[in-house]
Amino acid sequence: MRTATRVIGYGALLSALAGPGLAPAAAEQLVFDVTVLAAACANCHGTDGRSPGSIPSIAGRPESILNKQLQAFKSDTPPAGTTVMGRLTKGLSDEQIAALARHFSQIALSQPRQEASKQ
Amino acid sequence: MSQPSNFSRRHWLATLGKASAAGAVLMMAPSYARAAGGKVVVIGGGFGGATAAKYIKRRNPAIDVTLVEPAKTYYTCPFTNLYFGGLRTFEQQGHGYDELRAMGVKVVHDYASDINTRGKTVSLAGGDTLAYDKLLLSPGIDFRWNALEGYDEAAAERAPHAWKAGDQSVLLKKQLESMRDGGTFVMVAPANPFRCPPGPYERVSMVAHYLKQNKPKSKILVLDSKDAFSKQGLFQAGWDRFYGDLIEWVPMSKDGKVVRVDAANLSVESEFGEIHKADVLNVIPPQKAGVIAEKAGVTNESGWVPVKHQTFESERVADVYVVGDATVAAPMPKSGFSANAQAKVAAAAIVNALAAKPNAEPAFANTCYSLIAPDYGISVAHTYLLKEGKLAEASGGVSPADADDGFRKLEAEYGESWYKAIALDTWGTQA
Repeated sequence: MRTATRVIGYGALLSALAGPGLAPAAAEQLVFDVTVLAAACANCHGTDGRSPGSIPSIAGRPESILNKQLQAFKSDTPPAGTTVMGRLTKGLSDEQIAALARHFSQIALSQPRQEASKQ
Repeated sequence: MSQPSNFSRRHWLATLGKASAAGAVLMMAPSYARAAGGKVVVIGGGFGGATAAKYIKRRNPAIDVTLVEPAKTYYTCPFTNLYFGGLRTFEQQGHGYDELRAMGVKVVHDYASDINTRGKTVSLAGGDTLAYDKLLLSPGIDFRWNALEGYDEAAAERAPHAWKAGDQSVLLKKQLESMRDGGTFVMVAPANPFRCPPGPYERVSMVAHYLKQNKPKSKILVLDSKDAFSKQGLFQAGWDRFYGDLIEWVPMSKDGKVVRVDAANLSVESEFGEIHKADVLNVIPPQKAGVIAEKAGVTNESGWVPVKHQTFESERVADVYVVGDATVAAPMPKSGFSANAQAKVAAAAIVNALAAKPNAEPAFANTCYSLIAPDYGISVAHTYLLKEGKLAEASGGVSPADADDGFRKLEAEYGESWYKAIALDTWGTQA
């Protein structure tokens, strides 16, 4: 019962995530891949959310803080000093924000040395 | 004596195991030679191509990725305007390919001269032929020489476009530096669509900054083939504030459209016959997709490349993906940011297709920062989604008109930080 609920819950989450991008008439079922969504953040926040400049890094920050911050950007009264993030988060669903917050919270801020040489 | 049946059975299973493992290795050997994860050729080492090569490798290191790019150092158009403003050196916009090589991307410094999409091969000017399972083109733009009368490759040596970063940028900078105080810098701005919609106006801002510092009696005349441009209100407010009447912008409706260029005399003629004489003449000509796209048969009658926005695979030719300025991707602008974002979507699509996995929902964003003066930046930022398979704006807009100086300074800083981030994300280079 619990498992079934969870499966249904997960399914609902997936369709909610896929929702805005999927045309109702589209024959093809698209899957939600958070790494594809998150890749759009790297252009400014750095690959995997590790910023080389004054734009803040988002890798390794607590999930709840990232979620709260993204929701604050998205709100009608974004925090003082908000520049592009208000404009960029308005198009994100709550489910997308939750997925992004979880994704970046799970990435270590500093890149392990071996991984660094691979990338 | 007969061995215990248990032993025999185990022995037989073990032998079978070894045999089938060996068999599997033997059977797989030829396909390993052809690349276990598939073979991808990427043409063009700019924002789109370098990003695609990197993200394909990140997603599946088993895929054999070859990047074809003639230049050993790629110079970006973004931030080259700051070079004209005297705020950066030209070399600061250069990026090499060592980091991509370290990731396992085969980088070939050659020119892709032809593509056979039936045989799935790419011919290189150096004589080699590359086979592919999936091809990704990020060819950028080429110019429609003579579409603007009198403006061809030879004319560009006298009246530079500087719309591909390189020798042309250095030439324009030299001309600007040797211009007399009191001279006129004339820019001919193109009709839509063209690479980097806010680019001409950021260039005007940076040239104005240079002239104000060094040759304050000079003037800038912008002759435009359109009546509106990207971030127009913000640019014009910034121009009024910092440069006053140093800049004059003439829209198409006020006879701004140039129909003829006389490069030898550094003069241009407008639609209604007015002749404008320049001391430095910067002509940004009409554009089309890079020529290799034509050879691949992926362009349409407009000269640009229609793509399926879900994957950025060509609408016309299977297994050929095209990203960046060459594509028809409005409302996404032709920008380095867009090319990088599209390349990541195409990379995921290619990796999934090679593994016979379903496509992922794409995600697109674009932010273009422009610098009007040092510490005074503006931006346009959007996210996009698919509506019935076509790109549409999900959210976004330009910087507020009433923002204070602190906001503009922050956007100037973020612009610089953006450049560092995207250089690292695209080439793995420190900028």
